[in-house]
Amino acid sequence: MSAITKKKRRIREGSLLADALIYIAAGFLAFICIYPLYYVLILSLSTPENAITMQVFWYPKGFYLEGYRRLLQDNNLWISYRNTIMYAAAETGLILIVCSMAAYALSSPRLRGRKFLNYFLLVPMYFSGGIIPLFLLVVQLGLYNTPWALILPGAYNIWYIILIKSYFGTISESLREAAELDGANSYRILASIYLPVSKPILAVIALYSIVGVWNGWYRASIFIVNSNWQPLQLYLRRVLVEQTVDLSQEFLTTEELLADQMNRLGSNQMKYTIIIVSSLPMILVYPYFQKFFAKGVMMGSLKE
Amino acid sequence: MMRKEAAKERRTRRSRYVFRENVELYSLFFPAALLIVIFSYIPLWGLVIAFQDYLAGNSIFALNETVKWVGLKHFRRFVSSIYFGRLIGNTLRLSVLDLLFGFTMPIIFALLLNEVRSLKYKKFVQTASYLPHFISTVVAAGMMLSFLEMGGVVNSLAGALGISPKEYIAYPDYYPAIYTITNVWKGFGFSSILYFSTISSIDPVLYESAKIDGATRWQQIKHITLPGIRFIIAVQLVLQVGKVLNTNTDLALLLYRPSTYSTSDVIGTYIYREGISGGKYSYTTAIGLFMSVIGFILTFVTNRISNKLTGYGMW
Repeated sequence: MSAITKKKRRIREGSLLADALIYIAAGFLAFICIYPLYYVLILSLSTPENAITMQVFWYPKGFYLEGYRRLLQDNNLWISYRNTIMYAAAETGLILIVCSMAAYALSSPRLRGRKFLNYFLLVPMYFSGGIIPLFLLVVQLGLYNTPWALILPGAYNIWYIILIKSYFGTISESLREAAELDGANSYRILASIYLPVSKPILAVIALYSIVGVWNGWYRASIFIVNSNWQPLQLYLRRVLVEQTVDLSQEFLTTEELLADQMNRLGSNQMKYTIIIVSSLPMILVYPYFQKFFAKGVMMGSLKE
Repeated sequence: MMRKEAAKERRTRRSRYVFRENVELYSLFFPAALLIVIFSYIPLWGLVIAFQDYLAGNSIFALNETVKWVGLKHFRRFVSSIYFGRLIGNTLRLSVLDLLFGFTMPIIFALLLNEVRSLKYKKFVQTASYLPHFISTVVAAGMMLSFLEMGGVVNSLAGALGISPKEYIAYPDYYPAIYTITNVWKGFGFSSILYFSTISSIDPVLYESAKIDGATRWQQIKHITLPGIRFIIAVQLVLQVGKVLNTNTDLALLLYRPSTYSTSDVIGTYIYREGISGGKYSYTTAIGLFMSVIGFILTFVTNRISNKLTGYGMW
C-alpha cells in the first residue's frame, strides 16, 4: 500500500529540484516577513555602540535593557498606550453590540420594510462623502478633539452588519420559533440564543476591529489634535516619522546629556525599543486567532 | 362557525404578535440607523459644498442666502491646475505598480505555498506572512525610514559594495519603489488568505484523477488550481481597478516629503494637505467627488469587461 502511494506521489512530485526550489522560495518569503522586525528587536537589545556601527545582524551583541527601562518612565508613551486600549475597547464593544442588534433585526423573516432597510445599508457602501465633509461634521457636532470623534464614527460598520446577518441566517429558524412559543421576546432571543451561537463570527469581527484601532492613525491625526487623547500610533508617528520628539532629550539625564555621542546612540536605540513595545501585543495575539481569518475572509468574499 | 371564529382570532393574535415583534426589531435596528444617518448620510449630503464657496464655520446644511453657489468652478479649477496632471500621473503610476506586484504577489504566493506538502512548514510560512499585516503602517514606514537613513542598514550594506551612501527617501526617483515595496510587504500575506481558502475548497478528486492521467505539477496548477480561483481573481481585479485613484494615502502620508512631491504626491495626500491642513474645504471636496465618480465608472466598466471575458464579475 505504502509503495503504491509513494509511487503515485512521485508522479505528482515531479523532480526533487522543483520541490527544493519551492521550499526555498517559501522560506525566503517567510524570512522577508519576519526579519525586519527581528532585526529591530535585536538592535533594541544590543548595546548602542554595537547597534550604531552595524555589527548586529543575527543575534543581539551585548545585552542592553536600558532602553526598555527608560521607556517605562516615559509618560507620553503610556498615556497614548492607555488611550489606544480605551479606543480599542470602546469601538470594538460598540461595534459588536450595534452591529449584532441591527443584524438580528434583518435576520427575522417577519421584518417589514426589508427592502427599504437593504437600500439604506447599500448606499453608504458604494458612495461616501469623503474625509472633508466628515471632518466638517465632526467639528460642527463639537466632537473635534474629543475621544468621541474617533469612537462614534467607528462604532458601526455596515459590512460587519451584513457579515453577522449572513451568519445568523445559518442558524435554524426552528430555534427562534421554539423560543417564541416559550414567550421570549426578540431581545431575549438575540441575547440568549443568537449571540452565544455566533461566537466565531463575533470573534473575527472583534479581532479585525481591535487590529484596526490599534494600528490606525489617519483619522486620529485629523480629529484629535489635542495630545491628551491621542492614540499610540500618533505618538509613534512623531517619534519614528516626523522625528519631532527628541528622544535623547526626553530620556537622558543631565549628566548623560554631556556625553553628546552617547546621546545620539541612545536616541536611535529608543526608536527600536518603542517599535517593539508598541507592536508586541498584536504580534503575540494574532497567531492564536489564525483559524478565524480564513472564515472571516471567505464569508466576506462570498457576499461580494 | 366556531372554527371560523377561532381561525380569525388566531390571525389577529398572529398579526398583533408580528406587530409587536417588528417594534422590537426596529428598536434593535435603531442605534445602527442613527449612526449611519449621522456619520454616513450627512457627510454624503455634505458633498454639496463642492458646488459652493464654503465658509469655515458655516453649517454644511445651510441652504439660505449665506451660501454662495459656484457651480462647477472648483472642478474646473482642479482640472486646469498644474497639479492635475502630476497628481493623476503619480497616482496612476503607483496604482499600476500595485497592480503589477501587490495584486499578483498574493496569488503567486498562494499557488507556491499550495505546492508545499509539509503541513508544518506550510503553517509556519503562512503565519510568518501574516505578521506584516499586524504591524501598524506607522511602524512599517518608520522601519523603512530607519533602514534607509544615511547611517542605516541599506547604506552600510551598499557601502560594503562600494556604493556611496544616499538619503534614498529624499529622491523622487526612488520613491515609487520604496512605496511599493512597503505596501506589498505589508499586504501580500494577508491578502493571500482569500486565494488560499478558495484553493483548499477545490475538490481533491480533480487532482487525483489528473495524477492518474499523468499530469505534471505544472499542468495541475494550470488546468485545475488556476481555473478554480479564476472567479475570485476576476472579482478582486474589478475591485482593484475601481480603486486605481485611491492609493494607500495612509502610507503615502508617512513616506513622502516635499522633496519627492514630483513622484510621491497623490490625490489622497493632496486632499489631506490642502483640505485638512490648508482649509480649502470646497475645493478638496470637489476633488474627492470627482475621483469617486471616476472610480465608480471604472468599477462599472471593468466589471462589464470581466463579465464578458471570464463570465465572472461582482454583479
